[in-house]
Amino acid sequence: MSLREGVAAPERPVVLAVAGALALLLVAPLAWLAPPLLGLGERALSLLVADSTLSILVNSVGLVAAVTAGTVLVGVPLAVLTVQTDLPFRRFWTVVAALPLVVPSYIGAFAFTTAFGPRGVLADLLAPLGVERLPTVYGFPGAILVLVLYTYPYVFLTTRAALLSLDPSLVEAARTLDCSRREAFRRITLPRILPGITAGALLAGLYTLADFGTPNFMRVPVFTQMIYAEISSPGGRGYAAVLSLQLLAVTAVFLYLEHRVGADDEGAYESSAGRGDALAFTLGKWKPVALGFAGLVAALALVVPVAILFHLLFSDPTGYANFGPTFTLEPVWNTLSVSLAAAALATVIALPVAYLSAVGDSPLAALIERATYVGYAVPGIVLGFAVIIMLNDVDALGFLYGTAPVLVFAYVVRFVPQSVGTVRSSLLQVDSGLTEAARTLGRTPSQAFRAVVLPLIAPGVAAGAALVFLTSMKELPATLLLRPIGFETLVTYIWVVREAGRYGQAAVPALVLVAVSTLSMAVILSQEGADG
Amino acid sequence: MHDNGRSRRRFLAAGASLGAAAFAGCTVPGMGGDDSGSASVPSLTSFRGSGPLVEGRPAPGGTSIEDLPDLSGDLALYLGGGEGGIYRSFVDALQEIYPEFNVEVLPGDSASLAQTVVEEVDAGNQRADVFWSIDAGSLAIVANNDAYAALPSDVTGPVPDSFVGADNAWVGVAGRARAVPYNTDELSESDIPNKVADFPDTAALGDIGWAPTYGAFKSFITAMRQLRGEDATRSWLNAMQETSITRYPNEYEVSSAVANGSLASGFANHYYAMRVRSSNPEAPIGLAFTEGDAGALVNAAGALAIQGTEKRELVNLFIRHLLSAEAQEFFATVAYSYPMIPEVEPVGNLPTIDELSPPDFDLAALADVQATNDLLRDTGVLQ
Repeated sequence: MSLREGVAAPERPVVLAVAGALALLLVAPLAWLAPPLLGLGERALSLLVADSTLSILVNSVGLVAAVTAGTVLVGVPLAVLTVQTDLPFRRFWTVVAALPLVVPSYIGAFAFTTAFGPRGVLADLLAPLGVERLPTVYGFPGAILVLVLYTYPYVFLTTRAALLSLDPSLVEAARTLDCSRREAFRRITLPRILPGITAGALLAGLYTLADFGTPNFMRVPVFTQMIYAEISSPGGRGYAAVLSLQLLAVTAVFLYLEHRVGADDEGAYESSAGRGDALAFTLGKWKPVALGFAGLVAALALVVPVAILFHLLFSDPTGYANFGPTFTLEPVWNTLSVSLAAAALATVIALPVAYLSAVGDSPLAALIERATYVGYAVPGIVLGFAVIIMLNDVDALGFLYGTAPVLVFAYVVRFVPQSVGTVRSSLLQVDSGLTEAARTLGRTPSQAFRAVVLPLIAPGVAAGAALVFLTSMKELPATLLLRPIGFETLVTYIWVVREAGRYGQAAVPALVLVAVSTLSMAVILSQEGADG
Repeated sequence: MHDNGRSRRRFLAAGASLGAAAFAGCTVPGMGGDDSGSASVPSLTSFRGSGPLVEGRPAPGGTSIEDLPDLSGDLALYLGGGEGGIYRSFVDALQEIYPEFNVEVLPGDSASLAQTVVEEVDAGNQRADVFWSIDAGSLAIVANNDAYAALPSDVTGPVPDSFVGADNAWVGVAGRARAVPYNTDELSESDIPNKVADFPDTAALGDIGWAPTYGAFKSFITAMRQLRGEDATRSWLNAMQETSITRYPNEYEVSSAVANGSLASGFANHYYAMRVRSSNPEAPIGLAFTEGDAGALVNAAGALAIQGTEKRELVNLFIRHLLSAEAQEFFATVAYSYPMIPEVEPVGNLPTIDELSPPDFDLAALADVQATNDLLRDTGVLQ
């Protein structure tokens, strides 16, 4: 029995109204993409199909396609290796292979560009060996490399889940029918894990589409970059809105595909009490190759960037001596305060929304829950842009312009789905018998909710808040557009000193972010443990 | 007003924020014992950078910070560009000198901040008092959109007219000359043509480097468009791409590549060569200047008061500090900028600003970057 069966706790209409209003508030800023668009009049249409727009579209889709293909090539073998083979230290490799997911890709891009640039660490190291010029890391190859390194875990994790849920008896049956191991993989395993792979690849594609930092550092002209450039240039708002809309449309296609795959998934994931890892086959002489592959990926995604950052700590490759802002704790406090506020606010919003969607089955409740997920689909650069227009357009909101609460609001819009998701799944696990018992003992619905449900879902609520907190800390584009004067966070600090060519000073905040990212992995893992 | 201990601490703090380099080897006259002034101002020469380019300079002339009224109150500053944090350091130093003075800074790309200023003023949401930008083009964007408050002539007075905006909209605080860095092992100054128009046909220039995504390069092309027209600029860009030219991400890297011999010559702002030379005095890098064309453009970093600021007096006084002897010496010896007041000399063996032959050109025209971007994309330079 679940909560759903008639154990109405707090008054539903009130919750419905509150949740509805909150959802509306979260979606509202997007409406302000319309004024600059309408301001263009008929030009909007011609801009939509202009050559420059099309080339941005081609660049973006091309980048997404290449990254997606790369993530499959890296993520699927790693998943197979850690689930179905006798790879030594499988648990270790599983965690290590998932870890790059939580490191923001721009940290990797920053590290790679400083190391591999014409004046970078590697150029200095190799110069005595007579290597005069390194191939450039800038442009598409570099962007693809970095994005694959930090998004393949999506594919790795979904493929892993699919493999784990695989019913071993099917493969065994195929083997008894004289299929070779390879044929059994191709005919039985592959079709069953394909939805998992696809879902992961789509997530990697979504990340790539919305990513701002990596294409910026790698100088790749994709949507997020051109939107930023247009926002920054005179009279560019209209075109920025056109590009934003187009980016949202491409994103919507991805979300639709993901939704479709998700629906198909169920058969694949829930085939039986899957024990896919029972299929472990021995690697034999391939063991060193497999270890080498897993090690290489981990080295490129984790070891090399961290090593470069440590190197930067002790040497500044550019010509400036001791000028410019020295790193203080102020950006740390700023980051902590806005991220904490975002986590708290997101939790407060997530509770009624998740509650509604867990207990109610009305279409309205579903719509409200879906609406809170909109922020997830909106790239930070588009959200920041829309919020700025809104605050400049609506006189009554002008006083909020350039204040920290606006930044917090943007974080909440972007990341509240993480909170809604974890709260909702915790709510669904609460046995309604407990609340019924409380009601029988004379508690009002809201008393029963507080006394019984809240303590039970507390770990889930806390995990959701932690995720919002940790992802807010790493957010780049909206922070860049919305931060108050004199207010630098860890991320904007890295941005500012990097733009000024003072790479050495970005090392400390970048390492702090890597550490924070590792923390969020711990939260995710603890959640996984609780769910299982 | 302050006991010795406190002014000493404050002085040392100012020194720390200006950076150890500025104070290396300096004696500090008048420190500690002087309680008469309301603010303890570090000596003129302590605003000076260090290194081979700076040694033996005469003391800077002009109005000293000591002779200016005290800065006090809160100021919100949009800082566009910022020369690797050097401008920020100067702001920090001012805050150390004047404990009652507090600056909130929003750093950003110069053109993008200009755009922000214009929009904020339009919406009545302006939140900054001063816009200090490394590029006159971005100041002109604000000026052309009437988002400034004109500066009084006692602020703009010390600066030559060519570095003051129309209607005193903005005033230059530091100059940057376009230049041609060349490797002195491979070329001599006479190998460099004195018109950029002759570059495509001068095989002697060898491997050339440029940084077309860089703002200063775009300003150079914008000036060329204004001076010689769209078509001539297009053919020049096309012709340059036929030569042995390599693209770099910024002009510091162009200058470094010239110094290490990867390039024979390049297009860059003058101060990058000075930075290379400062870190390695033996570096075989020389600077040539073209004459009377876009290649000889002298751009300026400057400042303006944002329309709607309630702190006109503070803004004016702040900008006068940027034009003080100390500030100009600081920009000249640390950022290697061209000083904007005649009493301070440029660093090293740079020609003085009146020995250069900049084109007859209104810096406000640098605001038209859009058409330059289009042209650079069209010709495939920005691909």
